[in-house]
Amino acid sequence: MSVHTGGVQSRGQLWPWLLLLPLAAYLLVFFIVPLVDVAIMSVTEPKLSLDNYTKVLTGSLYRKVFINTFATAGLVAVCCLLVGYPLAYLMTHSSERTALLILLLVTMSFWTSFLVRTYAWMVLLGNQGPVIWFMELIGIEDPPHLLFTRFSSTLAMVHILAPYMIMNIYTVMKKIDPALVKSAESLGARGFSVFRHVYLPLTAPGIANGLVLVFVICLGFYVTPVLLGSPREQMIAGLIGHQIEEFLAFGLGSAMAMVLLAITMVILAIYHRRFGLDRLWG
Amino acid sequence: MHDKRPVLTKPTVNIGRRTALKGAAALAATTLAAPFIRRAQAADVLYINTWGGPWQEAATKNLFEPFTEETGIEIRTVSPVSFAKLAAQVKTGVYEFDVTTLGGGDILRANQAGIIEELEPPYEGGLFQNGVASHAFATVLAWRTDKYADESPKDWADFWNVDKFPGPRSLQRYPARVLPIALLADGVKVEDLYPLDIDRAFASLDKIKPHIRVWWTAGAQSTQILRDGEIDMIGIWHGRFYEALDAGAPVAMTWNQAEIDRAYWVVAKNTPNMEAAKKFVAFATSAKPLAGFVTQGKYGALNPAANEFVDAAAAERMPTSPQNYPMVFEQDVANFGADPNEVSQRFEEWIAS
Repeated sequence: MSVHTGGVQSRGQLWPWLLLLPLAAYLLVFFIVPLVDVAIMSVTEPKLSLDNYTKVLTGSLYRKVFINTFATAGLVAVCCLLVGYPLAYLMTHSSERTALLILLLVTMSFWTSFLVRTYAWMVLLGNQGPVIWFMELIGIEDPPHLLFTRFSSTLAMVHILAPYMIMNIYTVMKKIDPALVKSAESLGARGFSVFRHVYLPLTAPGIANGLVLVFVICLGFYVTPVLLGSPREQMIAGLIGHQIEEFLAFGLGSAMAMVLLAITMVILAIYHRRFGLDRLWG
Repeated sequence: MHDKRPVLTKPTVNIGRRTALKGAAALAATTLAAPFIRRAQAADVLYINTWGGPWQEAATKNLFEPFTEETGIEIRTVSPVSFAKLAAQVKTGVYEFDVTTLGGGDILRANQAGIIEELEPPYEGGLFQNGVASHAFATVLAWRTDKYADESPKDWADFWNVDKFPGPRSLQRYPARVLPIALLADGVKVEDLYPLDIDRAFASLDKIKPHIRVWWTAGAQSTQILRDGEIDMIGIWHGRFYEALDAGAPVAMTWNQAEIDRAYWVVAKNTPNMEAAKKFVAFATSAKPLAGFVTQGKYGALNPAANEFVDAAAAERMPTSPQNYPMVFEQDVANFGADPNEVSQRFEEWIAS
């Protein structure tokens, strides 16, 4: 009997780990191994040295593209917040039906392949697309070029990433006790004051989550800026792809990837110290 | 399952620093991803790297299908053409394709890097740097006829002349093709082009840079921006131009100062499908299949024997036809004038700045 119980106990301790095994094996093979490979390549291609890193960290092209990548990701994150916050608020404070409808619309764009969405923007913003057509209709002569600019790539990235922001803020707003707002009002606070001193601080975790998530995902964007942006405003993923595809510079591309990874990890680490990484998932 | 192992861990691959990792990856790939590794299929399948679009249509009908009929070897395609993949395949020993085509600039690099097989010339004068010369294609000056109705641009100097021909433009993001064009626009004569005066080419490019809205990177993209009128003038492959024209777009082009590239069939170094790959390259550059391919694709056949089977009407759209060839110029890749990699890096930095 005791032997039997012992067996169950040890199995009970083992089981959770066994459940992790498929995922661990998957990550090991398809993430850790290639990642280590990239790390090794960054210091061995074409020869064993740190030249690739020197180039990435000191070359004017790479610095420019890195700065642009972070600036773009920051801009996209802020735009997502400006778009997402009011929408999340609307969802929280409208009838269940309306909230559901908005949720459906938000997630629907989420389910569409982002390649499709990127091409859709090309059609919409193109020279023969409806936006230019409308501008001409209302009498704007010589309408501005919209496609292949920072505007078009930022717009498309905001569209693609806004759902992350909305969902993050919405879940936080949903949990706010309406009584808190009411008591603030009963204590004499007015509209904006309530928002500024009570509501906004309560939603801050959602804002922080949303910003970090959108920012980090945006750092690695490849297709959208390549297809919709201008070459003067490249992002790092596009440059890595180009280095490898055109110049077979596997080492240099790997070094750029490692630098991007390192910076991203630093950002996440800072976020973790400040807010706790586990909060990212609600 | 073990029958797939030898392909993944080929003994010919450089055994070295990453052997352990590769071993682990190969083992894992065999266990986990076995159904997705393409070598699980029958041995008589040849994988060919293609350019997609009209190129692939012409190749499928005139090269791939007849080859399968004749030899029983099935052909599958991988698109688009990727020089990086060709290099990565040799490095990792995992082959996605066995055969591909390379342009003049790339074949020098590929042969130097030792990533293509040594081949025998299948016809006289047909071998260059271990690639078998197949067909010629051109980068031509094309424009929107709805935009330049009164007067058409005639040469690259007109492409640079934004006062006379205002409007956004596009060129390929590919310095080996763009630099000679920039020099022609700056007044250099064709016979003095090579070796290229790199600094002068960049100075010339500086002048047109603000007017280049798109540096195109894929053939389909160049057709799309011309057809949709995103740009008014473009340096575009002639096959891609005809695609836009045949789709009914208001576009025109000139053969004047068209820039010829030669395309070569190559076999990936150490590919497990060596025999079939070599057989295919010989077949694809033999007179009759090549004639059919260039007729449909509007390329210029580089095996002279093929011209016998090309009719005069089809030749009008080919860069190497008797009426067009005097107007075009050929790239001189062996006499480029600088290290192509350095020029490419400089070009990238220039584009981004």
